[in-house]
Amino acid sequence: MVRTKRTAFMLALVTGWPAAQAVAQSCAMCGSSFGPDDPVQRAFSWSILFLMAAPYTLFGAVAGWLFYVHRRAAGHRRAAVVELAWSRREAPAGETGGQLT
Amino acid sequence: MRRRVVPPSSADTPPVSNTRLAMIVLITGESMLFAGLIGMYLVFRLAARTWPPPDQPRLPLGLTTLNSAVLLVSAFPLAGALGAIRRGEAGRVARRVELTALLGTVFLAVQGAEWARLVRHGLTLGSGTYGGSFYVLIGCHALHVLAAVAWLAVVAVLARRRGFTRARHAALEMCTLYWYFVCGLWVVLFPLVYLF
Repeated sequence: MVRTKRTAFMLALVTGWPAAQAVAQSCAMCGSSFGPDDPVQRAFSWSILFLMAAPYTLFGAVAGWLFYVHRRAAGHRRAAVVELAWSRREAPAGETGGQLT
Repeated sequence: MRRRVVPPSSADTPPVSNTRLAMIVLITGESMLFAGLIGMYLVFRLAARTWPPPDQPRLPLGLTTLNSAVLLVSAFPLAGALGAIRRGEAGRVARRVELTALLGTVFLAVQGAEWARLVRHGLTLGSGTYGGSFYVLIGCHALHVLAAVAWLAVVAVLARRRGFTRARHAALEMCTLYWYFVCGLWVVLFPLVYLF
């Protein structure tokens, strides 16, 4: 089992290493159109980085805040007496609701 | 047997109300719109060798700095109104909302005067990437401020007619959230466009 894992790792390393370098190269259009320190290339790089980061930052912040609020509310609820929904709905007139004993 | 429905207790109410959730979704969507516009501006700004272009007028920094202060200060009366309602003090809420709307109108009027001056000096929407990106980005923000001022006016009328209470003030709270968004957006846009 250990030998199989080691073989798979080595295979992934051997095939992935040259592939990673190939992926890191720019496309033919960008590679040939701009020089090594072209401002347009730099502008597009920063803009792409910003636009990639923006949705993750926004949705991460909103999701984190919602998680925090729900977690805090759950803590409050744990401290309160929990009434079952059926006990309130089916309670006879004059009673505010049953509680489990 | 007669049955009756008891209103849900406070433990059953969701921690985030539906109106607040809807407002967060709206603000997140608006933020993505402005993220796209800022991305556009970054491409033009960083790709240019000289910014602003030599034949184009400079943006008025001093006046806009003062105008920014007016917009940021306008958030305080609104925050005071919301805080007062949450404490159960309904008095002077309408006046505070009206003050915020007035300061927002001042911001828009100064922006409009500034734009008219820039157009007279030759900076138009069609005068290259500098004018185009400036008017699209700042104009989009101005449209949002205009919508927020209209919303504030509606909230002020509601506050005068029927008043808000500690239990019912969702309109004021949502309007305040949107105004915070508009002010926070300007904190990002002003240094980006006028100082960077």
